[in-house]
Amino acid sequence: MALSERRIARYARQLILPGLGEAGQERLLAARVRVVGAGPVAGPALLYLAAAGVGTLWVDDPDPSGEGDAGAWIHPPDGRGRPRTAAAVEAVRAASDLVEAGVLRPGAGPTAVLVAGAAQDVARAVAEEARLLGLPHVVAEADGEGGAVTVVPVGAPCYACAFRAGHGAEPTPAATAQVGALAALELVLLLSGAAQAPEGRRVEVVRGQPMARATLRLPGCACAGAAARPAP
Amino acid sequence: MSGLADKSVLVIGAGGLGGPALLALGAAGVGRLVLCDDDAVETSNLNRQPLFGEADVGARKAAVAARRLSRLYPAIRVEALDRRFDAGSAAGLAGSCDVMVDGSDNFATKFLASDAAVVAERPLVHGGVLRYTAQLLTVMPGRTGCLRCLFEEPPPPGAVPTCAEAGVLGALAGFAGALMAAEALRLLAGERGAYAGRLLVYEARPARTRIVVVRIRAGCPSCQKRLGLLGGPAEPACEVESSKERGGRP
Amino acid sequence: MTPRARIDIRAYACPLTWVKTRIALERLAEGDALEVLLAAGEPLDNVPRSAAEEGHRVLAAEPAPAEGPGAWRVVLVKGAPREEPA
Repeated sequence: MALSERRIARYARQLILPGLGEAGQERLLAARVRVVGAGPVAGPALLYLAAAGVGTLWVDDPDPSGEGDAGAWIHPPDGRGRPRTAAAVEAVRAASDLVEAGVLRPGAGPTAVLVAGAAQDVARAVAEEARLLGLPHVVAEADGEGGAVTVVPVGAPCYACAFRAGHGAEPTPAATAQVGALAALELVLLLSGAAQAPEGRRVEVVRGQPMARATLRLPGCACAGAAARPAP
Repeated sequence: MSGLADKSVLVIGAGGLGGPALLALGAAGVGRLVLCDDDAVETSNLNRQPLFGEADVGARKAAVAARRLSRLYPAIRVEALDRRFDAGSAAGLAGSCDVMVDGSDNFATKFLASDAAVVAERPLVHGGVLRYTAQLLTVMPGRTGCLRCLFEEPPPPGAVPTCAEAGVLGALAGFAGALMAAEALRLLAGERGAYAGRLLVYEARPARTRIVVVRIRAGCPSCQKRLGLLGGPAEPACEVESSKERGGRP
Repeated sequence: MTPRARIDIRAYACPLTWVKTRIALERLAEGDALEVLLAAGEPLDNVPRSAAEEGHRVLAAEPAPAEGPGAWRVVLVKGAPREEPA
């Protein structure tokens, strides 16, 4: 199925990237991503996923927007108190009418998951659920002035294996933007097929310097057992 | 956030790099943001420029950016200039802000920004993205190397592809722009800066970071001019009309 | 060599000229030829060069006055996929 003229014009600047092309763009269009969180880390992530042409974005966040969402890029102060998901969906639709955006519904079948700035216990639970469903997933955490993005392609060491505790410091708006954008970047590389050798990795950003490490399975972790099929 | 309310940052370009930088700087509470962009929004911008959306295609970037930033951050002052950062305006704009963030997309402007920073003695956060690579450098005039110290000559036209020819991913530009904002905030706080005299090159696919040290180069026409070593009228290599030379406020 | 496919990109402005060409090449197999009808000026400067940079061969580039004023015919042969630098 060929890309429409509108999509070719919209994605002109990325269609010509090595490893992406029409095939990669079609894979992005076919992807359906569940985004857990709609706050300061998710805001930039959602906008960049939409900008890249990820076909369907389902936002999953129970909270209303509040003071802490000032750095999210998508929650104007005059909308305080509205459900975060509503503002997030609106922001994605305003950014692009070439992708679908909605609130996550029961029975939705995502093909990938992004955990964006959720609390630790939520992140672990969602990551484990995604792993058991055989879905590639990315977990983004902001911490103080930096943060980390953990990339879990199908079959890779799980989020729990890769986890390292941060300082637990309140993230700054520049940190949430860095981590949100980086998470979107990693997910776009994975979904499009442009990632050169999709591997589990954790990219930490410390004082403006990204530092990446391949993730390693902890001995005895349940994630070693499942022989998952590689991502298509 | 205290202390940022009376600071100002100049952001050159409101697109792939300038856009996320402005959004992050506004969120951090920088009291005055000055942005400079003389373009209109095009559909192909929307793969990477988060200040603009579907309804903005055809509109002036400066105007849309001003509306968007003001709505998100009503407490800050946004001065959106619908004009090019050029030899005539560079010195004045550089001198009017505490820190410069260069999100421009062509080497002529990047070199001009570097020259203006050196002349006005303002720190400059330089950034660039091309294909899957981002680079960042902070110029501390008189202390660390400028763009002319790093690149002895601007690359000849056609030597380096533009993103129109080579491509760029929005999220990588977003990451770089956010890193630029964080660096500007460090500089505003009086810290040295993570990229001061250190060019950081990030390759997104292998997630590999490299650092290249950038010292003041003995033959750099821009730095030497500022240090007064050459004396006399401006060297042709430095494009900025110094406001000192024009008799204006330095 | 008979082209496997032909595209006419005279209606497009840069950078869509190269984008359309690249998509057309992507759909071919290695060794296939693509005939591109394009305008003199920027497209003629950019398209063959971008194609060569990506490892495709420029078999021919000649004026094609029969197709219209300023028209050129460029024939590209799709090269092997190669690992691009980051």
